[in-house]
Amino acid sequence: MNGGREAADPPGPASAAPPAPPLFRDAGHGYDLFGLRPATLSRAVAVGRPLYQHYFRVDSRGIDRIPASGSVIVVANHSGALPVDGAMLCLDLLLRSSPSRIPRAVADWFVPLVPFAGTFLTRLGVVAGNRGNVRLLLERGELLVVFPEGVAGVAKPFRERYRLQGWRVGHAELALRHRAPVVPAAIIGAEESWPVAVRLRGARLFGAPYLPVPATPLPLPVKYHVRYGEPIRFDHLPVEAADDPDLVAECAAQVRDALEELIGRGLAARRGLFR
Amino acid sequence: MRPLVTGATTPLGGSVIRILLGDPEVDHLVATGIERDPPAGALPSSPRLTYQRADLTRARTAHDLLFGVARQRGVDTVIHLAIHRSPHGSRASRRLDVEATRELLLLAESLPSIERFIFRSAADVYAVRHATPDLLDEDQPLELDRRAPASVRDHVEADLTACARMGIGRLAITVLRLAEVLAPAQGSQLWDYLQSRVCLRPLGFDPMVNVLSLDDAAAAVRLALHAREGGVCNIPGADTLPLSRIAARWGRVDLPVPGPLLDPLYRLRTRVIGLDFRYDVNTRRFHFGGMLDGRRACERLGYQPAHPIDWPVAASPVPHHSQPRHEPGVGR
Repeated sequence: MNGGREAADPPGPASAAPPAPPLFRDAGHGYDLFGLRPATLSRAVAVGRPLYQHYFRVDSRGIDRIPASGSVIVVANHSGALPVDGAMLCLDLLLRSSPSRIPRAVADWFVPLVPFAGTFLTRLGVVAGNRGNVRLLLERGELLVVFPEGVAGVAKPFRERYRLQGWRVGHAELALRHRAPVVPAAIIGAEESWPVAVRLRGARLFGAPYLPVPATPLPLPVKYHVRYGEPIRFDHLPVEAADDPDLVAECAAQVRDALEELIGRGLAARRGLFR
Repeated sequence: MRPLVTGATTPLGGSVIRILLGDPEVDHLVATGIERDPPAGALPSSPRLTYQRADLTRARTAHDLLFGVARQRGVDTVIHLAIHRSPHGSRASRRLDVEATRELLLLAESLPSIERFIFRSAADVYAVRHATPDLLDEDQPLELDRRAPASVRDHVEADLTACARMGIGRLAITVLRLAEVLAPAQGSQLWDYLQSRVCLRPLGFDPMVNVLSLDDAAAAVRLALHAREGGVCNIPGADTLPLSRIAARWGRVDLPVPGPLLDPLYRLRTRVIGLDFRYDVNTRRFHFGGMLDGRRACERLGYQPAHPIDWPVAASPVPHHSQPRHEPGVGR
C-alpha cells in the first residue's frame, strides 16, 4: 500500500472551458433510447458544478485511466443517505474525462418505481439495473458506473464506513462477457458527509428496502477525494469464463481487492475531513 | 410470390397491399376484408389484385377462402394482419384474434401450395414491469398474468399459437411483433389516447415510448415475405420519445395526474365520449415504457425503421449539442 501523496491531476475541464459535446446517440427527438436528455443533463451539471467545485471540493486523481472510448465499467464504493457520492463521481467523469464521456450509472431495481426521481435520473443517463440494460449499454461501448455494494453499501452503519459490504459479482461477469476493462474508483469523504441516523425498514416506499433518515438535514461539506485505479482487464480469460461462477467470483474479488487498496491509500493520504 | 393478405381494408392492410404491388417479385395478391366491397380508396386498383370478402371468424368461410380463391390463384404465403380493434376483450375479438388465427394456420398447413405464414402480433404481448429492460428483445417474458385485460391475453394466446407451430410443420412461420402503429383504425391505444385535447398521464412518470408508422410496418411485412427463415422478430418504429412529448407533438395538453385517478377518469371518458382508450390496458406502459429491441429484425430481415411519424405539430429545434447520430440495429 502506498500511503504517500499522489500527484494531482493537471487542471481538467472542470476548472477550464466547458466540456466538449459528449458522445450522445439521439433516438430522434433529443432523447436517447434510455431517456437520456442532454439538455436536462446540462442543466443538472450547471446546478451540480458549484457543489462539485466549491461545496465538496472534489479532488480527483487518475481520470486518465478511464479509456477514451469503448465500453468500460467503473466500479465504486457506495454510501450516504442519498446517492450524492454517485452524483459527484458522475460529475467528475463527465467534467474531467477527455474526450468527455457521459457516465451511465446503474441504479437499483426499485428506482424506476420512484415518481419524479426515477424519470429525472433517467434524463440524466441513469439506467435501471437489469441485465438487458447493462448488456445493451456495453454493446454500444458506453461507460457504466456500478456500485456492487448496492443498498447494503448505503445502508451500512457509520462504524462500518469504508468497509465494502455485500459485494455483488455482476460487474465481473459483464466485464468477462463484453471484454470491458474495469476501473476501480474510490470515493473518500462521502461516508462521513451524510451518515444515516436511522433506517426505517418498515417504511417500504416505492419498493425501496428502507427509508433513510440522515443524521444531518444536509450533507456536511466534507472534502471528496476520487481516486481511479489502473484498469483491470480479464482479456486473458475466455468469454466462456463469464458462465463459470467460480471464475466470476474470483474476478469480482480481484476488483474488490483493488478498490479496497485504493480506499486505503486514499484514507491514508487524507489530511482531514474538510481538507 | 402470391401472397394472401387478411385485414386488407385496414390502414395497415392497405399499406401492405400498396408496397407489395410495387414489388416486381409479387405476381398476384389476394386481399381479404370483412367488407363486401373495399371502402373507396382503401385498396389500389390493379389487375394483379383480387379482393375477396371473408369473415374469418367463420371456420367455413376461412376454409373456402383458402381452398377456393387462394388455391385457384396459387397463393404461397398467408399474411395474417386481421385483428380486432376493440380493447374490451369481447367474444367477437377472441374469435378473430385467437380462433381465426389458429384455424388459418391449420388450413395453411394443409394446403400444399402455401409455404409461409406471416402473423402480425403486437408489442402488448410482452410483460412490462419495473424490472424489465428498457428495450424488450424477443426472449422477454410474455404477459401471462391472469389479471391482464382479456384483449391482451387474446393477443398473447394468438402469438403463442403461431409460435407453437414453428418448426413442427412444413410452414415457415414468421411472427412480427409490431410496436404501436400510430394510425387510426388499427386498434392503437395510443391513437385513441391522443384523441382528447388533454392527455392525462401518471404524475411523476414519463416513460419512453416507441411508435411505428404504417410505412415502416408495411416495409417490415414485405421484408418478412422475402426473408429466408421464419421466427419471431420485434418491429420497432423510427420515433422514440417520452409520452409527454408525444402528446405535445400531437398538439395536446399533457397533464400529469395522480395515478389512482387515471383509471376512473378514463373510464368516465369512455362512457361519455365513447373512445376506446383503456387505462388499465396501458397502466404499466404508462409507467415503465416497454420499447422493442429491433436488432433481430435488422439481422434477419434487414429491417431498419426509416419512416418517422408524420407529426401534426412541428418539432421544436433540436439543441446544437444533440444533433441526431442515428445508430443502426436497435429501434431508434
